Amino acid sequence: MELFPNLTFSVLCIQILVGLSKATILFIVASGLTLILGVLRIPNLAHGSLYMIGAFTTYSIATAFSQSSLGFWVALLVAPLVVALIGLIMEQGLFRFLYKRDHLMMLLFTFSFTLVFGDLVKMIWGSDYRSLTVPEIFQGSYALLGFPFPRYNLFLLLLGPLFAAGLWFLTNRTRLGKISRAAAVDREMVGAVGINVNLVYAAVFVLGCYLAGVGGALVAPTQNISQGMDHSIIIEIFLIVIIGGLGNVWGALLGAVIFGLTDAIGILVAPQFGIIFPYLAVISVLLFRPKGLLKSIW
Amino acid sequence: MKTTLKLFCLTAIAAGVLLGTTSVFAAETIKVGIVDTYSGPASTYTNDVRDAFALAVGKINAAGGILGQQVEYVTRDSKFKVDLGLSAAKELVMREDVDILMGTINSALALALSDFAKQEKIPFLATFAKSAKITGEKGHRYVFSMNENTAMIGKAAATGLAKLPYTNYWIAGDDYEYGHAVAEGVWENLKQLKPGVKLLGQSWWKVGEPDFTPYITAMLAEKPDAVIIATGGRDCVPFLKAAQATGFNKRVPFYMHTATEISTLKPLGLSAPEGVIGTANYHSYYPDTAENRAFVAEFEKAYGRTPAVGALYGYITAQFISQAYAKAGEVDTEKFIDALEGLSVDSPVGRVTMRAEDHQVMLPMFMGVTTKKEGQEVLVAKDIVTISAEDVMPSLDEIRKARKK
Repeated sequence: MELFPNLTFSVLCIQILVGLSKATILFIVASGLTLILGVLRIPNLAHGSLYMIGAFTTYSIATAFSQSSLGFWVALLVAPLVVALIGLIMEQGLFRFLYKRDHLMMLLFTFSFTLVFGDLVKMIWGSDYRSLTVPEIFQGSYALLGFPFPRYNLFLLLLGPLFAAGLWFLTNRTRLGKISRAAAVDREMVGAVGINVNLVYAAVFVLGCYLAGVGGALVAPTQNISQGMDHSIIIEIFLIVIIGGLGNVWGALLGAVIFGLTDAIGILVAPQFGIIFPYLAVISVLLFRPKGLLKSIW
Repeated sequence: MKTTLKLFCLTAIAAGVLLGTTSVFAAETIKVGIVDTYSGPASTYTNDVRDAFALAVGKINAAGGILGQQVEYVTRDSKFKVDLGLSAAKELVMREDVDILMGTINSALALALSDFAKQEKIPFLATFAKSAKITGEKGHRYVFSMNENTAMIGKAAATGLAKLPYTNYWIAGDDYEYGHAVAEGVWENLKQLKPGVKLLGQSWWKVGEPDFTPYITAMLAEKPDAVIIATGGRDCVPFLKAAQATGFNKRVPFYMHTATEISTLKPLGLSAPEGVIGTANYHSYYPDTAENRAFVAEFEKAYGRTPAVGALYGYITAQFISQAYAKAGEVDTEKFIDALEGLSVDSPVGRVTMRAEDHQVMLPMFMGVTTKKEGQEVLVAKDIVTISAEDVMPSLDEIRKARKK
C-alpha cells in the first residue's frame, strides 16, 4: 500500500465504473465492426467515419431542437437511422458487387470511403469543431463513495448491458441471427439451401452501421465533435476487435472492457504514462493469444 | 480533326494558366502571404487572425495605403501540416513574390517557416504559434512573434498563482510540446516566486483525448490544493465539459491558459464551469476603453461575431507592418526589420511594443476567473488582474542563454 498511498478502495471502484462507462461506447461501435467483419468479411475502415457522421448528425438534430433534452432523445433515435441508411446505400450500391474480391481490395475500398466521408463531413458541417451540451437530466454528477460520478456516465453504464443483451438475443434467438452465423461459416451452403444470402448480408451491414451511429450519438455530448474523431476511434476499435477475436461479438465486449479498464486503472496508478496501458494490454494479449481471446470466426 | 481540337484546348488551358498567374500589381503593392490552418479544428482561432488583419488592411488601404502603395494579402491553407505549409510558403515567395510571410497556429510549422524565412531573407511574422523557441532558442533577424508564448504563459500564470494560498499542486496536460512547455514554464516560475510549493504528481493525456473523467477522478484522489491544466486549443473545451460534469471546479481550483477566453468558452455556452482561473491576451469587454470598444464594434459590424484573441494578433500585425514601412520610408526588407525593432503601436489593449532584442511582441496578460453574467450567453472573466508585459517577458539573459545552445 505504501507504493500508492492514495489508492484507496473507493477511488478504485469509481475508476472501474468510469472505465466501464467508457467501454460501453467502445463496445457498441466495435460490435458493429466485428459483426460486419465476421459475417461479410469486410474490414470496414469507414466504420469510424460512420461513427463521426453519427455524432455530427446528432449535433445537427439536437441543435434543430435548440439543444434541449427532447432534441437529444430525438437525435439518439434518428441519427443512428441516418447512419444506417448511409450503410444501406453503401452496401446496395457498392459492397454487394465486391464480396468475391480479396481482403486487401476491400481494405482499400473502405479506406477510400474514409476519405470520401471525411470530405463529405467537411462540406456539410465545415471544419470547425462542434460541442453539444449534455441533456438536462444527465447534467452534474452523483457522489459515490465520496467521488463525483457524472450522471451521463451512469446512463452509459446502464446502456452497455442493454446493448449486449440485445445483440445476444439477435444473434442467438432470432432467425436472422442464426442465418447470419451460418453465413459467416459457409456462405455458399446457406445460399444452396435457398436462403437469400444477399438480403442477410445487407441486414447485417446495416445493423453494423447502425451501431456505429449509436456510438457516435452517445459520444456526442461528452467530447468535441470534430474531424479526426473517425481516425482515433477506428484504431481503438480495431484493436478491440483483434484482441477479442475477429468477428466475435463477445470478443468485442471483452476487448472493450479490457481497453476501458486498463485505461482508467492506468491513469490511476501511473498518471504520467496513462496513455500506454491499453496498448500494453493489447500487446500482451497478442503475445500470448495471437488469434484473440475468444474464438475468431475467421 | 480530333487532334487539332485537343491541341487547341491545351493551348487555351496553357494560355489561361499563364494569364492567371501574371500579377498585375507586382510593382505597386506590398504583398503579405499568410500560411495558416484554415481547415480543421484550429480554424476557430485562425479565422479571427485573418479577418481582423483583413479589416485593418482595408482601413490602411482606404487611407491611401503604405507609402502610397496598396497592401494586398493572399492566404494558403496549411491544414495543420508542416510539409503543406512549407511548400505553400515557398510557392508564395517564388510565384506570388510576397514581401512578408505571416501565420501560423502550428508551432512546428512556424519554426519551419522561420527557418525558411531566414534562408530567403524575408520577414516572417508568426501569429498564434505559442512555442517559446520561435523568438527564444531559434530566434533570428527575420522572425517576429505577434503573440504570447509558452514562456510568457508560464510567467504570467506563476505570477498570478503565487498570490493564491495554495501549496500542493498537481500538473496535468497534453502530452506534446505545448503542454509540457506550459507546465514547465508555470512550475519553474512558481517555485522561484513561492519556494514552499509542492508538486504532488502529474498526469499526461494524449492530444484529442475524448474522455477526461478518469483523469479527473484520479486527480481528486490525490487531494491537491490546486491543479495546473496545461492543455491547449480545442482540448480545453472537452476538459471544461468534464470538469463541469464531475464538479471538479467546485472541489479543486484549477488554472488553465485561455480558460477565460471566448474561443474556449463560446462552444460551451452556459454549461461552462464557473470559478476556473484562466489567462488570456485579450477580452472583447476588457480593458473597457474607447479603443477596445471601437475595435469590437467594427469587428462585429464586419463579421457578425465577437472578436476573440486571434483578432488582436491579426490587428497588431497589420499595424506593425504599416507603421514599420512608414518609419523605414521605403519598401525594403532590411530597413523594414530595423524599423520594426522596438516599434510601438496602438492596439485595443493599449500601446504594445516589439522588443528589439528578441523580436517578441510585449503583450499584457489578463488573469481572471470564469463566471456567469446576467443576459450573456457565454461566461465571462471576473476579477481580472492585468499582468504587465514587462512581468511576463522572458529576461534578455534567458534569451541569450537559450540562443547560445
